[in-house]
Amino acid sequence: MSVVVGPGGLRPRLRRRELGLLVLVALALLVGWFSLELGRRLADGSAGPATTGPAAAGPERILVYLAALFVAHGSLSLSGRPSDEILLPTVGLLGGLGLLVMERLPQTMAGSLGGLAASQLVWLLVALTAMTGLGVLVRSDAWLRLYKYTWASVGIGLLLLTFAVGIETNGARLTLQVGPFAGQPSEFLKIILVVFLAGYLAEYRPLLVAGVWRLGPLRLPPIPYLAPMVVLWALALAIVVVQRDLGTALLYFLTFLGLLYVATARLGYVVGGALLFVAGAAVAARLFPHVAARIAVWLDPFADAQGAGYQVVQALYAFGRGGLLGTGLGAGLPSPEGRLPIPALHTDFPLAVIGEELGLVGVVAVLACYLVLIERGLRIAATAADDFRALLAAGLALVVAVQAAVIAGGNLKVIPLTGITLPFVSYGGSSLLANGVIAGLLLAISDRSIRLPTARRPGRGGR
Amino acid sequence: MDPALAAAWLVRLTFLALLYLFLAAVARILLRDLRAAARAAPELGRLVVVEAPAGQPPAGSQFPLGAVTTLGRDVNNAIVLEDPFVSSRHAVLSFRGRTWYVEDLGSTNGTYVNGIRVEAVVPVGWGDELQVGGVRLRLERAEPRAER
Repeated sequence: MSVVVGPGGLRPRLRRRELGLLVLVALALLVGWFSLELGRRLADGSAGPATTGPAAAGPERILVYLAALFVAHGSLSLSGRPSDEILLPTVGLLGGLGLLVMERLPQTMAGSLGGLAASQLVWLLVALTAMTGLGVLVRSDAWLRLYKYTWASVGIGLLLLTFAVGIETNGARLTLQVGPFAGQPSEFLKIILVVFLAGYLAEYRPLLVAGVWRLGPLRLPPIPYLAPMVVLWALALAIVVVQRDLGTALLYFLTFLGLLYVATARLGYVVGGALLFVAGAAVAARLFPHVAARIAVWLDPFADAQGAGYQVVQALYAFGRGGLLGTGLGAGLPSPEGRLPIPALHTDFPLAVIGEELGLVGVVAVLACYLVLIERGLRIAATAADDFRALLAAGLALVVAVQAAVIAGGNLKVIPLTGITLPFVSYGGSSLLANGVIAGLLLAISDRSIRLPTARRPGRGGR
Repeated sequence: MDPALAAAWLVRLTFLALLYLFLAAVARILLRDLRAAARAAPELGRLVVVEAPAGQPPAGSQFPLGAVTTLGRDVNNAIVLEDPFVSSRHAVLSFRGRTWYVEDLGSTNGTYVNGIRVEAVVPVGWGDELQVGGVRLRLERAEPRAER
């Protein structure tokens, strides 16, 4: 199995569109940094030097980040693969906006190495390396499609390990620590989930589409082929119950339903799955107080504005203060004594910061970036050579889109708030790395020239 | 108005404008890409020869598919397969709605999809493998027209 082809036959290929877009990204981020700097100076000038906590930093970090983007562009050009040219600039802009947000926040955060922005920069570089590495090196998808059950086992193993020895933060058991490295397996689990589902659905699509027996208006495939679906549903609920992680459960389940619809084009599955989830959630809300508390906060955050509803209320105020054009970078919420005005602002509420300082206009631009990512994913899926790659591309785009939608909806009080990250923007190593891997896989499969694995011999009874 | 404040406003608006300039540039590329795809002649798919023991047609050759494509040894078939185990009118591939189907036309040695013998009309997915006599073929999606 050759996953990688050596650099013997490299033929550099100009990526003109990517370069053009990257130049725009670089310009935007530099002006953004300048705007942040001016905002800081004005704040210092008007209210005395004591108010803003962090010492003004130079543009070094933004410059390093931009250099990394252009290095990534250079590597992709040198590899000569005809892969997608929109993904890198879009991801680059989102990551850059995230970096600006981290620059703007007080740097003294527990658990961050040498300041929030410095730590974020390191992880952004790691994520870009992963993305470019996968985009340049992966020349075959056999290692993904042939071992779907192995991947599924790895994923479930990781999950169980987290259930057993995970560390609790804010009442949710999410973090796994091995020596000095701590990570959130759920971020990587979402990739494994998409890989498994793409493999499974590509293999049994005809059966699922045809349907064999009827249950009321639903035509269902043979029972054994439904088992993995039911297992997934149970898994999502188990995450809610054991890990108390509503956001991840919602993310997995919505991705699963979306992919099922992409594979079968049958709305019945989606409606059925959604009803199952609503039923499960209703029962969970009765049985588990942490679920009920989330829903109560969502319905009326002002009932306990200083307690449970504090985060949501503060986020709503931030969006309100921002208005149409925002207060300007660096001129937003005051940060008393170098603390974050909202706990978990850097991981769960970066959209609230963008909403306050760049206004509705900025939030819409960020959401448009995710829209672009979805379009690219679906476009790659529509032109993929076979079902597995089509489903993989659609699923990877879907998982990013759903995650962005779930956390953006939570920030805006459209749906109950759940603590997941805003892809490519939020602070956090696991999240950045996992999303970088997703972007890298999309880059790799957008190259139509990669071979389909040589087929299994017929006559052995299927695969 | 305070000039410092005015400058800060100017920079802020420039920043937002640049964000939208980027999005406009992306939107322009995406639109052009979609238009090119829509203009391209709709090719429904193609068959790629994976293995042909008799050597005719050679492995790796590709056949663009029409909505109904017949396979067999007879020269009147859309795809002629020179193989001793292929019947003269062997099988027919048809595109109905959004899926390919294959039907065996009562051939002597049968038609297989991914190694399973075709009894009735069977759907075929992208990347699935057909065996007709000794010839193995793979159904692939058509190459999209080059973006440019």
